[in-house]
Amino acid sequence: MATTDNTRQLSINNDARAMIMRAREEGIETVWDRLAAQQPQCGYCALGVSCRNCAMGPCRVDPFGEGPQKGVCGADADIIVARNLGRTIAAGASAHSDHGRDILEVFAELAAGETTGYELRDETKLRNLAEEWGIDPEGKEPREIARELATSMMEEFGIVKGRLSFADRLPEQRTKLWNDLGITPRGIDRENVEMLHRTHMGVDNDYVNTLLHGLRTSLSDGWGGSMVATELSDVMFGTPMPVRSKVNLGALRPECVNIALHGHNPLLSDVIMQAAEDPELVALAHEYGAESINLVGLCCTGNELQMRKGLPMVGNHLMQELVLLTGALDAMVVDYQCIMPSVTDVAKCFHTVVISTADKAKFTGATHVSFDPHRGLEIGKQIVRMGVEAYDNRNPERVRIPEGTVEMMAGFSVEAILGALGGTPEPLVEAIKAGKIRGAVAIVGCNNPKVPQDFGHVTLAKRMIENDILVLVTGCSAVANGKAGLMLPEAAEMAGPGLREICQALGIPPVLHMGSCVDNTRILVLAAALARFLGVDISQLPLAGAAPEWYSEKAVSIGAYVVASGIETVLGVQPAIFGSPNVVKLLAEGLDDVVGAKFAVEPDPEKAALLIRRHIEAKRKGLGLSCLEPEEMTAQAA
Amino acid sequence: MKTVFVNPERCVGCRQCEFACAVEHSLSRDPTQAVFEIPTPRPRIHVSPGRAYATSFPNKCRHCDPAPCEQVCPTGAISRDAEHGLVLADARRCITCAMCAMVCPFDVITFHELGDGIPVRVAAIKCDGCVERVDAGRPPACVEACKTDALVFGELNELIEAGRARDTTALLSAAAAATSAAPAMPASIAGWRAWGEAAVHLNEGVHHGHH
Repeated sequence: MATTDNTRQLSINNDARAMIMRAREEGIETVWDRLAAQQPQCGYCALGVSCRNCAMGPCRVDPFGEGPQKGVCGADADIIVARNLGRTIAAGASAHSDHGRDILEVFAELAAGETTGYELRDETKLRNLAEEWGIDPEGKEPREIARELATSMMEEFGIVKGRLSFADRLPEQRTKLWNDLGITPRGIDRENVEMLHRTHMGVDNDYVNTLLHGLRTSLSDGWGGSMVATELSDVMFGTPMPVRSKVNLGALRPECVNIALHGHNPLLSDVIMQAAEDPELVALAHEYGAESINLVGLCCTGNELQMRKGLPMVGNHLMQELVLLTGALDAMVVDYQCIMPSVTDVAKCFHTVVISTADKAKFTGATHVSFDPHRGLEIGKQIVRMGVEAYDNRNPERVRIPEGTVEMMAGFSVEAILGALGGTPEPLVEAIKAGKIRGAVAIVGCNNPKVPQDFGHVTLAKRMIENDILVLVTGCSAVANGKAGLMLPEAAEMAGPGLREICQALGIPPVLHMGSCVDNTRILVLAAALARFLGVDISQLPLAGAAPEWYSEKAVSIGAYVVASGIETVLGVQPAIFGSPNVVKLLAEGLDDVVGAKFAVEPDPEKAALLIRRHIEAKRKGLGLSCLEPEEMTAQAA
Repeated sequence: MKTVFVNPERCVGCRQCEFACAVEHSLSRDPTQAVFEIPTPRPRIHVSPGRAYATSFPNKCRHCDPAPCEQVCPTGAISRDAEHGLVLADARRCITCAMCAMVCPFDVITFHELGDGIPVRVAAIKCDGCVERVDAGRPPACVEACKTDALVFGELNELIEAGRARDTTALLSAAAAATSAAPAMPASIAGWRAWGEAAVHLNEGVHHGHH
């Protein structure tokens, strides 16, 4: 059996292991039990060769070549795999871009003075964005600038402009390459809708054409919807600056009301943080015998708050059921994305209330409080009150919080990194040229119960920094590496001599927290800035991406936009494409000649580390920089 | 003698054989109605996961001769249909003692509510070789559902011979190339299974504290 009875195999973290043990003792079902119950999982679906896009089907292609080779419409494995992958990218890109749209709508309402609990906290960034978008900020009030910027951004969700302003951040080589290939995104929503159109029966029947549009669709996310989300969140909630925080289930405090903020969107959670300081609610908590109100973060909502305010994190994707198993969580407030429907089932075994807040994301078994930015602070207070009242139902005998937290740093926005470097990428470029830093790798993406929790994220990060490769993390990977102690300046001791020297000189960790999963755009912006500084294309830089434990459709969109932006990406979990050797060949080889980057699949992080190091040295060689020999690297790795 | 033969390396774990089997043993024999029937129709074939992801085995009654289940059944509920070479269970005579399940080398006899023509009661259910379909010149439901030839229906020795021919080719080429004797897999399947195998090594590695 691939899944296992031994909890040590399921996660590298002691806090997770303790709670999985508790779940088993008490017969509470978790994600690992459900994965085991699903085995074997359908091979047609895993290979991507099943199609249920129309009612002549469902169809599947026999991967052994003897049974049916075409669906009823005549689609072969190449077309079916491309259709499925295209729709996966569109779903992921839609999730990110819809998140971006929600932020933009509140931004527009804030500009119109219709909200409570929101401010334009970073006016400098607002003015810079306005200039970038061709809006003259001179002599204008911040709200007036925001109104104009909001309108201009809304136009890019539709077809008014036919282009994305953020793509102007690219080096000219990349812009030309996209134009030549016809994959420059024309509008944020348009590419997603067109992908659904193309994958309807009888539209795009050329798998290469479908996949090229898949890249364009993902770029409408990375350089569109997600980037709008990141940039406007910075304007409204503050651009992250380095901040100390902590992580682990131990961040829950038995003496306090504990409220977890789970999901992806900071719109509501930011006002909840304000509401939790309300004297009336703090007094109510005291009345119930609690010392104070303790807010903790889960997944990317947590990352957004940790980046800006140092909110303690209780965990990443696979911790969302386990945090409930502590018996110490009074309320779990969820917005959307990656929230397992099972959280309400686990919560029923305890006193915890699950509060859903987005009208587009309701949960059976949760209490729904509809988010409305016009009454933001009032709703925030209502939710905190529910958490305080739930504390009264807590059974102290059922509280089991694994001890201890790990210190970590967050807040490395591009602005913060450039700030640490003295306002210019030059010191970083010089360190790369000198070989002190050999390159950088973005380790991103999710957790997946098919592979041990956090093992891929942490092992890969360790191998990278040992070999003087700077690591940038977002999402679940940030939580994983924070727990492993790699995200403190002191962790420079674990880095190779060159990276150690740079980190110690700047007082930064060798693994930098760049935010939530929409904040992968910060990595794109940094890569583009480095390329423009050097006058080269992004694909020439000694950079790589990795998603060792990805699971979600959003991760597929991220992987696609990172590769289409010119950064080679190694996936730890197999995407559903292996039923078409042609598609595999295109993504793992052919793309290199098309966009200057490709995908690889490697579940073993030690092997992935070697792949990435070889890639980075090859890119260094291409730039005429000092490079290591592969033999030497093998010896080092061993 | 015709039988259902399993090529385990061809199984992709889609479990469509299980679904087709349950429908075939429903009252309506219609997939859109069968799921609403009471008692719920049950499959007689069980696709079990292998050790690694992406491996599985469709397990069903092998219709042994002599059949241990038939030998231990105290009421004679299990009998042999000599004409078709099948071991059949008669729910009307079954006393639900489970002796047959205890001695079955393949663990393929289960106990569920049955309603086809008798008052609803729990009894032993097992593969009946889709005898009615076979008499009508059709393959068993599980074989018809299987599009990868993991389940094939035919003369036992002919199917064994076909397999031997494949294996012999593989063995000869293996001797020359000093590679595995397993039959060559298409690139699609090989890539898919390689990830499953690597992932299971990874899981076991963590157990041994390699991280």
